[in-house]
Amino acid sequence: MSGYPNLTCLRLERRGPVGWLINNRPERLNAMSARMRDEFEIAWKALDADPAVRVIVHTGEGRAFQTGVDVTEIATDGVGMERYRDSLERFDLRFTAWHNRIWKPVIAAVNGVCAGGGFHFVADADVVIAASDAEFFDPHTSIGQVVAIEAIGLLRKMPAEAVMRMALVGRHERLSAVRAYELGMVSEVIDPPERLRDAAQELGERIARNSPAAMAATKRALWQAFEVGLTEACRLGARELVAMWGHPDQLEGPRAFAEKREPRWADPVPSDTAEPPQPAAPGDPAEPPVP
Amino acid sequence: MSGVAPPAYATLRVERRGPVGWLVFARPEAANAMNATMLDELEVAWRRLDTDPAVRVIVNTGDGRAFQTGLDLHQLSRDRAALREQARRTAAAELRITAWHNRVTKPVIAAVNGICAGGGLHFVADADVVIAASDAAFCDPHVSVGQAGAYEPIGLLAKMAAEPVMRMALVGRHERLPARRALQLGMVSEVVDPPERLRDRAQELAETIAARPPELLRAAKRMVWAALETGRTRAVRQAGIATVGAAEGEDG
Repeated sequence: MSGYPNLTCLRLERRGPVGWLINNRPERLNAMSARMRDEFEIAWKALDADPAVRVIVHTGEGRAFQTGVDVTEIATDGVGMERYRDSLERFDLRFTAWHNRIWKPVIAAVNGVCAGGGFHFVADADVVIAASDAEFFDPHTSIGQVVAIEAIGLLRKMPAEAVMRMALVGRHERLSAVRAYELGMVSEVIDPPERLRDAAQELGERIARNSPAAMAATKRALWQAFEVGLTEACRLGARELVAMWGHPDQLEGPRAFAEKREPRWADPVPSDTAEPPQPAAPGDPAEPPVP
Repeated sequence: MSGVAPPAYATLRVERRGPVGWLVFARPEAANAMNATMLDELEVAWRRLDTDPAVRVIVNTGDGRAFQTGLDLHQLSRDRAALREQARRTAAAELRITAWHNRVTKPVIAAVNGICAGGGLHFVADADVVIAASDAAFCDPHVSVGQAGAYEPIGLLAKMAAEPVMRMALVGRHERLPARRALQLGMVSEVVDPPERLRDRAQELAETIAARPPELLRAAKRMVWAALETGRTRAVRQAGIATVGAAEGEDG
């Protein structure tokens, strides 16, 4: 679709309000080459900058969703993991939505095998759905690598035992989509698997009916809750809540509800231009607008 | 029904049955939404139940078809002073709506009797034990009316798998999480079927808990909630100190 940068390893499309980011190295099970890694940052930012995109769906072409770093490239190009040393040591990664601080809702639609580094995209998505034949495993320890970032991301979001088992069993066992659903790692299993993209589009359109500004504020409030204790998380979340007061969507929402019509929300603003909310001043007259 | 001398609550029913104090949302005609009066009464009711020595465990449920559906903005829009005060509390993180906000020290069971929407999720996030009628359902419509969701999903995030919480917060009113799925996710620990049995079951469960020594219940509750505030090592160390304190208190 026009307007988006032309990428080699990824495909970008928009269908209605839903922007699609599709891993497009099916012959390599969508493993992440150095080039793909660079393209991810471009892709997330392009979809984020398009005001017509309200929700982003991330999926893969072919049999795999994503299978982590391209081990063949690492083993044969003479540079290997050294290429990534600097960005890892500084924790300056840019390949997931979370790394890029994208505040539009992101749905990961896991279409097949999700292995190793593929978990980055599951851990860092807001909503995760999976085809009934999708499978999850983490082979890092089976090839002499440490698991860290992906597993830590998952630990914050689901029961820990399952994450630790995957990290330690490595490639000798796979977690099924149904078990992932039971654990609350994914919220929907799509059967037959061919229906995954339709289901993701439908869910994306449903989420796109909500206020972009309110969803961005909610998303910031929830992701920052992982960083601090419960009371502090509530305090920081309150800033996001209060920062929405005075936004036109807060009047439009109740009005549309009363008039029984779809709300006409303000367009989303690019994530990197969103102002961080300030703590409320004492005696601040701010109050929620009243329908 | 006896016990607490009946202060005139207009929007709640507060009762004691044996060792169990009941806090019941009683605005069924408004799906139990919180108006200015209920906001005031909740603070009073939690405090009274927590200080009544005859009450060992508190059950929180709702009259009618809904459990709780959040702020009644229509009513609050006609009471500017109440709205302003609630806005101030929201901004300053000084809400006094739930047991957690009011630092209630006794075990609290939420018995979700029907729809629990938006601000109703406060009472699920902030309860110790949650059971639900089989026809109960959960949703967070904030983003569908142009509001951010914060306190309620943040509270839930601390207690359950995150993906379903994020999905609920972002899908808004266009989807409901049914009681059965909440059970599978560990958001509730029991689904009562038929739904009419919910209150009997809540009373029974509360009596089981009430049979434990109150000071141990208090210590356990304090430790578990404190653990949500900090990292693992610090939480365990705090709990260790508290355990010794509770044991010494018993001996003494």
